[in-house]
Amino acid sequence: MSSSALTSAPVEATRTRGLHGAPARGRRTGPGVSFILPYLPFLIVFGIAPMIYALVLAFTNADGSWVGVHNFLRTFGDYRFVPAFEHILVYTCAWLGSLIVFVVGLALLLHGRANRVSAGFRFVFYLPGALAGAAAVLVWLFMLDPAVSPFSGVEHVFGDQLFVQSIAPGKLPFVFAMIAFWTGAGGWIVVMYGALNTIPDELDEAARIDGAGPFTIAFRLKLPLIRKWIAYMAILSFAIGTQLFVEPQLVDEASLGLVPDTWSSNQFAYQLAFRYGDFNAAAAVSVDLLVIGLAAAVLIVTRTGLFRRED
Amino acid sequence: MRRFGRSAPLWPLSRRLRRVMLTSLAVAVLAVAAGACSSGSSTSSQAGTAGASSSASGKVGGSLTVWVDSVRLPVAQAYAKAHPDVHVHIVTFDGDGNGATTMQTKIQLWNRTGNGWPDVIFSEQVNDPVWMAKAPFNFAAPINGLIPQSILSQWPSPSTTQCTINGTQYCLQDNLAQVVLWYNKKLMTQFGYTVPSTWQQWAAIGQKVAAQHPGYIIGTSGESFSHWIYFWGNQCPLEKLQGSQLLINASDSHCTEMASLLTPLIKNGTAPPLSVFTPDFAKKYGGADDKVLMMPGPSWYAQAVFQQTLHIPAGQITAAMPLSWNGETPITTGQVGGGPWIISRHSKNLATAANFVQWATTVFNPPGANARPGYPAYEPLANQWLASMATNSYFASDPTPALKAAASLIWSGWDLVTYPDQPVWSNTVVTGLVAGKPLTSLMPAFGHALSQAAQAAGYQVSQ
Repeated sequence: MSSSALTSAPVEATRTRGLHGAPARGRRTGPGVSFILPYLPFLIVFGIAPMIYALVLAFTNADGSWVGVHNFLRTFGDYRFVPAFEHILVYTCAWLGSLIVFVVGLALLLHGRANRVSAGFRFVFYLPGALAGAAAVLVWLFMLDPAVSPFSGVEHVFGDQLFVQSIAPGKLPFVFAMIAFWTGAGGWIVVMYGALNTIPDELDEAARIDGAGPFTIAFRLKLPLIRKWIAYMAILSFAIGTQLFVEPQLVDEASLGLVPDTWSSNQFAYQLAFRYGDFNAAAAVSVDLLVIGLAAAVLIVTRTGLFRRED
Repeated sequence: MRRFGRSAPLWPLSRRLRRVMLTSLAVAVLAVAAGACSSGSSTSSQAGTAGASSSASGKVGGSLTVWVDSVRLPVAQAYAKAHPDVHVHIVTFDGDGNGATTMQTKIQLWNRTGNGWPDVIFSEQVNDPVWMAKAPFNFAAPINGLIPQSILSQWPSPSTTQCTINGTQYCLQDNLAQVVLWYNKKLMTQFGYTVPSTWQQWAAIGQKVAAQHPGYIIGTSGESFSHWIYFWGNQCPLEKLQGSQLLINASDSHCTEMASLLTPLIKNGTAPPLSVFTPDFAKKYGGADDKVLMMPGPSWYAQAVFQQTLHIPAGQITAAMPLSWNGETPITTGQVGGGPWIISRHSKNLATAANFVQWATTVFNPPGANARPGYPAYEPLANQWLASMATNSYFASDPTPALKAAASLIWSGWDLVTYPDQPVWSNTVVTGLVAGKPLTSLMPAFGHALSQAAQAAGYQVSQ
């Protein structure tokens, strides 16, 4: 019931806008700004101001005098820089790949099911996401230890008899990707499901009448229509992925140092700031991450036309 | 046309919005700049308080904030009970063990904000005072003016040396953590082995055990501190300060001979690359029919590992002298821990802070099950503690002669440095051992990784 009501509302809106485009636009800006305004102070205080602070720190030294790109060159030359970014690259590829394929796949599958069935599954998928980040990692510490894991049989298949084998260096990016997928995918499945609901039933029906099967409808009709949502998910997830911190940090402590404390680039920045008191170098690494995140976002936005208003 | 019509009304607003954004940005920049200035002035004012520690006079009382690990919690609680005039605020933390950065993070933040420092900290990390006494942390207060010299002189000299940084003593060790050879007397008798006195005899038993009693172990190689047990004791120069240079030479014969001795034992499973603190270890080797035949390890292993972690029954475990290399004298041994007490130079209640540390190290010595887990560093207290250990029914025989003898045998050629070296051993050596690589092949990588860690911490490394 509710889902069909949701589906028809945007269709109506589109139609009205199409007919009386200009006035509708004018009316919508006011409410739009009022939606943004409450967020703005937080964006400035917790987003933009720290970013500017990081930029200032990255180009100065401890005394506050300008040093150009010295901090960047210094951190780039550090023996932990390249491995940390390599780890992050492998992890982000594994995670983002699985996230896009499985989230979209599962959402498409759910969308084809009866509402009650899919609501149940959506709830189940969402559940792990209800655990806060650190708590989820703690659950995984037990899952990964064959001595206590309920899935030790699966681990034995992969040749892991001991916790130290489950977290062998080569497996780590994939282990972390699995943890992140488990905690994050459910929320995105719900979002994608909502996106699929915005597709007008008329299109679905028209495709069916034209003889399209469920696969054709899913891949040729629904998928292109939720492209922007997928792009949105990719941008946010990419930024979160490159900023990985909690998982390697907790596994490092739980394994008594088997995982380097500079495994990810964010951990590297943290160590620079707090172990060595070198906030300027730490800021330089953070700015590297910012640039990478922005570049990826620009690439995805331009490639997918995320902000393009009309096709 | 439609496009224009749509975007036209938006213009004034977007301009307004941009102006608002720019203004707020400017405000944010100003705020940040102001913040930076004020934090700058607060750090410089901290530097000025450094001299305050010389005035230790004052009454014991007022409030006192103490940060301890869970093992030292009873000490802090007992002090609070014994001193009703002092309002003790106890905070427990991970103790900075295994090279955690908890304390570095906290002290950096306290230094930045200019307040919040505790009066006293206990650290499990024996090298913590080294960086706490230096810039940019500048946390530790010199201990000399705070505690009478007659008391300070009762610490063994290697312990005082470890707490002395650039000629000033900055900490007091709570306990000594000398490595001895722990062994299972019941199993050794049952299998008909003699307790070894050299590493060679120990390794020979390892070969026999692998053939005759597979599954039993004579040590472990998977601790984050295994190199302190095997290489520190065997005089391997991995952290030797020579003037301004730090000597790290993993290819020295003292290192390679020990690596060659251990490699076959790791391979045959008698010295597995597993930590005694993992559930896997307790499951495989602990419990009522434990498989621990011998284990070189520090003095605190007795209760913390054998009794409480592995649940090895009473009447089996006892200690023997540290092993020598082929009978060479004098025997030297390693050290694992020996956590120090540090007083904050920012403390406004130095007299009470000093009183606390003195009480915790020289008075606190409860009997029975609540006994101190480690060998007290303060000698008069150590003698009392040893007397009660000697009659402790947990041990198969009196472990105290070996513990007492080993206390003065810790090799002094291993200097404490600002960075923790346990993570380096864990993530370069232990991960390799788990993957089946021989220890001998991992030693060059270990030396290299140690050099990198030292250089990153600002040391000039020589080989």
